[in-house]
Amino acid sequence: MSPLSAPAHRRAPARRRAPTAGLAALPSFLLVILVACTGASSSVAPSPSSLAVASPTAVPTAAPTSAPTPTPVPAFPVTLTDDDGNSVRLAAQPRKIVSLTPATTEILFALGAGPRVIATTDFDDYPPAAVALPDVASYTAVDVEKIVGLGADLVIAGGNFFNPPEAIAQLRTLGIPVIVVYAPNIAGVLKDITLIGAAVGLPDAAAGMTATMQAGFDAVSTATAGLPRPRTFYELDTSTGTIYTVADRSFSAEMVTLAGAAPITTGSPTDYAISLEKLIKADPELILLGDAAYGVTAGQVKSRPGWKVMTAVKTDAIRAVNDQIITRPGPRLVEGLRALALAIHPDLALPAAVPIPPMP
Amino acid sequence: MSEAIVELDGVTVAYRERRVLVDVSLAIGAGERVALIGPNGAGKSTLLAVVSGLLRPIEGQVYLTGEPVDALDRLTVARRMAVVPGTANLPFATRVEEVVALGRLPHEDPFRGARPADRAAIAAAIERVGVGHLVGRDARELSLGERQLVLIAMAVAQATPVLILDEPTVHLDLRHQVGAMELLVDLNERDGTTVIAVLHDLALAAHFFGRLILLDHGRVVADGSAANVLTPARIRDVFGVDPSFVHLPMAVG
Amino acid sequence: MATHGETLVTARPRVVRSRGLRDRPVLLVGLGVVALVVALVLGVGVGSVAIEPGDTLKILANRFLGLDMPRTWTDATETIVVDLRLPRVLTAMLVGCALAVAGATFQGLLRNPLADPYVLGTASGAALGAAIAVLIPVRLVFLEFGLIQGFAFIGALGAITAVYKLSRIGGLSPLTSLLLTGYAVGSLLAAGLAMAMYLSGAALRQIFNYLLGSFDAATWPRFLATLPIILIASIAIMLRARSLNGLLLGEHTAAHLGIDVRRERRILLALASLVTAAAVAISGLIGFVGLVVPHVVRLLVGPSARLVLPLSAIGGAALLAYADIIARVAGGIPVGVVTAIIGAPFFLLILRRARTGYEV
Repeated sequence: MSPLSAPAHRRAPARRRAPTAGLAALPSFLLVILVACTGASSSVAPSPSSLAVASPTAVPTAAPTSAPTPTPVPAFPVTLTDDDGNSVRLAAQPRKIVSLTPATTEILFALGAGPRVIATTDFDDYPPAAVALPDVASYTAVDVEKIVGLGADLVIAGGNFFNPPEAIAQLRTLGIPVIVVYAPNIAGVLKDITLIGAAVGLPDAAAGMTATMQAGFDAVSTATAGLPRPRTFYELDTSTGTIYTVADRSFSAEMVTLAGAAPITTGSPTDYAISLEKLIKADPELILLGDAAYGVTAGQVKSRPGWKVMTAVKTDAIRAVNDQIITRPGPRLVEGLRALALAIHPDLALPAAVPIPPMP
Repeated sequence: MSEAIVELDGVTVAYRERRVLVDVSLAIGAGERVALIGPNGAGKSTLLAVVSGLLRPIEGQVYLTGEPVDALDRLTVARRMAVVPGTANLPFATRVEEVVALGRLPHEDPFRGARPADRAAIAAAIERVGVGHLVGRDARELSLGERQLVLIAMAVAQATPVLILDEPTVHLDLRHQVGAMELLVDLNERDGTTVIAVLHDLALAAHFFGRLILLDHGRVVADGSAANVLTPARIRDVFGVDPSFVHLPMAVG
Repeated sequence: MATHGETLVTARPRVVRSRGLRDRPVLLVGLGVVALVVALVLGVGVGSVAIEPGDTLKILANRFLGLDMPRTWTDATETIVVDLRLPRVLTAMLVGCALAVAGATFQGLLRNPLADPYVLGTASGAALGAAIAVLIPVRLVFLEFGLIQGFAFIGALGAITAVYKLSRIGGLSPLTSLLLTGYAVGSLLAAGLAMAMYLSGAALRQIFNYLLGSFDAATWPRFLATLPIILIASIAIMLRARSLNGLLLGEHTAAHLGIDVRRERRILLALASLVTAAAVAISGLIGFVGLVVPHVVRLLVGPSARLVLPLSAIGGAALLAYADIIARVAGGIPVGVVTAIIGAPFFLLILRRARTGYEV
């Protein structure tokens, strides 16, 4: 799944749109630009490569063994392989980190690298401390000049066209290390957290976080193991008339599955639109409103023409969910999975949540 | 007359399998003033086109100053023959003097443009044709008559031994027609320019041109003085009208 | 002859235009060069990072004039000025020059004041090429030029070659045929582009950024690679100014004035297409420059290509350089929007002040 789960413009948060033809119809292209990509296009997605940490060239100096808890010394310089397959060499521990995706920002802050983050995007919204940071990227562009001006020594960008590849290339040409992260599935998120942890010199914090998160995922899948899996329609957006939902084998589909439901998918890994006919034929038993944050209510759904034949509408099984924590490939994913599982199985008994490190 | 400056030898021109000119042979000597006349579709404009090398005959040969036209490059032809266009369709605002200056294209330096000699020729042409009072005006704003004179000035600036005009009086009122004709006579008699003009107005042709060539259905039907060419029988046969409609003044020699 | 002198005086009074600028094109050239120099200094001094003007000049003097300057600036600042802003300003000038020269040439060739560099399908071809490049899951960087730029270049040239070859079929006059074929091929390619955008998924935004046109991706290698193409082709066009002048009254008259119309048309078409293709390859599709600048120049110095071409080159370079500055200062809006905002009203103003309308 693309790390993009920024609060998309209300108009069209889903990614799939057939643009009007005709190069001269610029206004229609301006509409098209508002398409937010909440899903991945796996046709162009590079498979997330396995994290390879080359042996550090400097032998880490050990702390005095008399200390009760030896402080792990970060190993720099280090060469990491990012999700695009590029080798990125970090000469020293980064002190001025720029995050170009909201998920990355959350990861950095959760790992404890928050104080070293000097800039983020203008659509970052969590944690609150990040919102106040200077903006060096918008939805469409990256301000390379500003990044250079701030003296960044590490930039973490989103793959799969989340950030313009041109900007990434330009930053690299100017000598600024850029690590590209892209998680098409849940396992990928954990890999990215490990990668980011290694990059900022906090591998132990990363290991702890991934272990906690994995345990959290496992707890949910255990709890939902024997439960019936309702056919679930996860609504991404219907505001423009086209129905957008999860694509085959996408991040969101995986989340829904892990949360104990059988997601109704579009039938294609690259297409996010589903026709109403197909949806009616699939007859969802449960409707989850991922666009609840934009004001979509169960009442509205029930009144949509043609929708009342669905089991979910008949049984009033329409529930709102917080799409952000479900689709953002960051530390709050466990929280999202738990919320999702509870939305699917309201009486589910989950063990107490283990908190991810508190965010400043 | 002196040797032929423009000569056609058995020229046949076809346009999509329709023969527009058939076996035309004629010779025009240097310094002559010739009018091409005939009904619509007789092939007059085609004749001009093939003389100036724009059209290729399927048979026969056209000679310009003794050389076959199709063997000459366009630049050489342009230095020997000027063709006054029938209309001026200008896409951009163009001043009168700039239109006249186009006539120097075959002569000017390809890279550096107009030289003092060119500028002198342009000024002289403007003066000669009498459009000096129009200098500075946008050619597109002129009346049809003024525009026609400007185009003639452009051809005059080209300073070629042969001047060709295709129906130069179509848009002009009587006064302007006469003025244009007098200019042609002047160019012909004072400068020795060979003038070949397609005219639809028989009276003008008869009055101002010593030699008329009558075309009909692609063939030269008559060639000579107005009195010899425009006989009542011919007028009836070729133009299909009662000869009494056409009142010809006595031809100028 | 007494008669025709007085017979031809019309009722309209003679218009006395100021003979100033037309007779002193050198003055205009000088003004243009000054404008360019100012644009260069402004363009390099302005950006999202504030840099002391003095520092900017010192950096330039130090790097390019070899003058020894006390180093009052940081490395980051120098990188910004020399590696980010300078190629950007120069690229804007180069593209502006190319578009204006191409526009003037197409207008003269097609005898159509509404022609611009994109009229024969180059825009659609370039856009489709760029879209295909984005869709190919191959990351190919050739001399740091980029796949998008290469494909856009090929697409533009391919389109106009197709238009030219197709226009020879049929009995229409060559100019009409060219225009109509250009429209048809352009529409077809635009449809292809729409299809590509539909299939693009997450890459849609990158395609769209290309369509809007920008100088964000301006780098030294790209500038230096396209500089010779555009300069040489533009100069080659200027050397053929005579042919363009000859075409003013139409093809027949041009032939009568000694122009080999078929050959010149082919050559000029090829050169103008080359220039356009190179320009859109590195900048995307920026409108208005190619349309408006030649007209403004003609209103100042008349339609002679000998003056219009070089002055359009300078004017186009200046216009686009300033437009890019404005675009950056206004917060990164697309430069094509700025050229439209400047170009359209200015054009209308000029039209109203000019004494003649532009009816063909």
